[in-house]
Amino acid sequence: MLEKIRELICNYVEVEPEEITENSRFMEDLNMNSYDFMCLLGDLEAEFDVTVDESEILEIHTIGEAIVYLENLKK
Amino acid sequence: MKEIDINGSVIKCYPLSAAQRIHNYTIKYCPTQVLCIGTGLYIQQPVNFSILKECIYKAYEMYETMRLRFIKDEEENVYQYIVPFEEREIPLVDFSAWNEEDAHNEMRRWTAVPFERYNSPMNQVVMIKLPDGFNGVYLKVDHMTMDSSSIIGFNRAILEIYCSRCYGLDMPKPLKSYISQLEKDLAYEADSSARKRDEEFWTKEISSSEPMYTDFSGQGRLLTQRLENNNPDQRWAKVVSKSPEASISVYSLEEEASMRLMKFCELYNVPMASLLLMGLRTVLSKFNDNEKDVSVKTCVARRGTLSEKLSGGTRVHFFPLRTVMEPEMTFLEGVRMMQTEQSRIFRHANFDPVELTMKRAAYWKSQPGTSYESISLTYQPLTAKQYVRNVPDIPYKSYWYTNGVAGQPLYLTVMHRPEDNGLNFNFEYRKDAVTEQEMQYFYYYLCRVLFRGIENEMRTIGDILNMI
Repeated sequence: MLEKIRELICNYVEVEPEEITENSRFMEDLNMNSYDFMCLLGDLEAEFDVTVDESEILEIHTIGEAIVYLENLKK
Repeated sequence: MKEIDINGSVIKCYPLSAAQRIHNYTIKYCPTQVLCIGTGLYIQQPVNFSILKECIYKAYEMYETMRLRFIKDEEENVYQYIVPFEEREIPLVDFSAWNEEDAHNEMRRWTAVPFERYNSPMNQVVMIKLPDGFNGVYLKVDHMTMDSSSIIGFNRAILEIYCSRCYGLDMPKPLKSYISQLEKDLAYEADSSARKRDEEFWTKEISSSEPMYTDFSGQGRLLTQRLENNNPDQRWAKVVSKSPEASISVYSLEEEASMRLMKFCELYNVPMASLLLMGLRTVLSKFNDNEKDVSVKTCVARRGTLSEKLSGGTRVHFFPLRTVMEPEMTFLEGVRMMQTEQSRIFRHANFDPVELTMKRAAYWKSQPGTSYESISLTYQPLTAKQYVRNVPDIPYKSYWYTNGVAGQPLYLTVMHRPEDNGLNFNFEYRKDAVTEQEMQYFYYYLCRVLFRGIENEMRTIGDILNMI
């Protein structure tokens, strides 16, 4: 899942995939803004065939948290 | 896509995007509307104008949207196409012996002159000499081709190319293709599943319940129109006018006070736009008998992917942002509600705002030219400092020149000042709808709400409404 998320993030910000880790924060480390983040969520929904809840995802700050959230949705 | 014969050459022409159709719609129904935006970027040092001219041509080469033109077919449908290169002369105007304010007023006058709309360039670049050794570029573009993000990008490209030529700095990075991005946008509109999902979202939003119009000057407009229409339950109000003459009032919030707002956003991890929207909706509530149901129009720049960020063009969509807040809700809860609402809108922001407006009017049977929102807000996080990211030591100044007309009654743009990062509140208002005194009054209340809210984020909305 991390690889796919890296690939999708690179569509939004100028960053090398290997620089993206589970500890990377979307806003502070990857310089994504809230619009980028919401669009990325749309991509993740399509990629992993899940539906996210807008109020829940505001609590997600790192790639690792996103992976845990998406894995729980897929269960 | 359609191939059209233009001056003996068969050229690929594309339909307008949803963001462009908004402007086309405005011109169709308000022919006196002017879509020009004027900007000036000036650096305080001698400039080699023959090199600068070459740099401007190079920037034209890099930026497809600076070579965008429009054409109408036999059925009056508007299409767009790109010409391969820019060949017009780029003039130099010397204002160095002028009073500076007169020079800027002259450029404001240039900005009020619309472009020929079809088969003609939609921008103009003039090299400028100002008093006190400032030299640079005036740029006028038609809003149907570029928005503020594109304009900043083009100005920055000129400066970076110039610095590359004169000081050996890096050339700007290559841009993305405007036409490739346009093709993606048009594919979205052509019955895609994403568009269907967005249409379902907005249809559900519209039918949930009817919003309430809240005016920036109080309940007078709505109450008068209720009487005129003999409809005591009317919740919308007429906002269009045949007299679009506009003015701008700029209020500068001090550096320290602006910093307090930014620190609040950082501390609670909320976007500045959410805080400003919370301030706006609370003032509207105050001015409308503490109305709980308040809507404002919010700007979505729609530049997420690198292709969207770097392809130029005009991409801005405005959407209604409606919140119903009880007086017991705390200020912070209100800001968070704003953030959630913005996030919901972001996910469906590719939907055509004109179609949304028409759907809503049809559903609630409101009259043409009416709305539930009296104010539009744009928060511009890009500072003018980003114009000169590679040449930080050169003193410079940047200007936005008004074209003197506005379609909507009140349009607030909040931007950071380049010199100290403080916030400027630019109120562009239609003169027949608002007075400058009303603007001052509104700004005063907006600041009171914001600072009452951030000094104690657990203060309730009801308390804030009582305090201000």
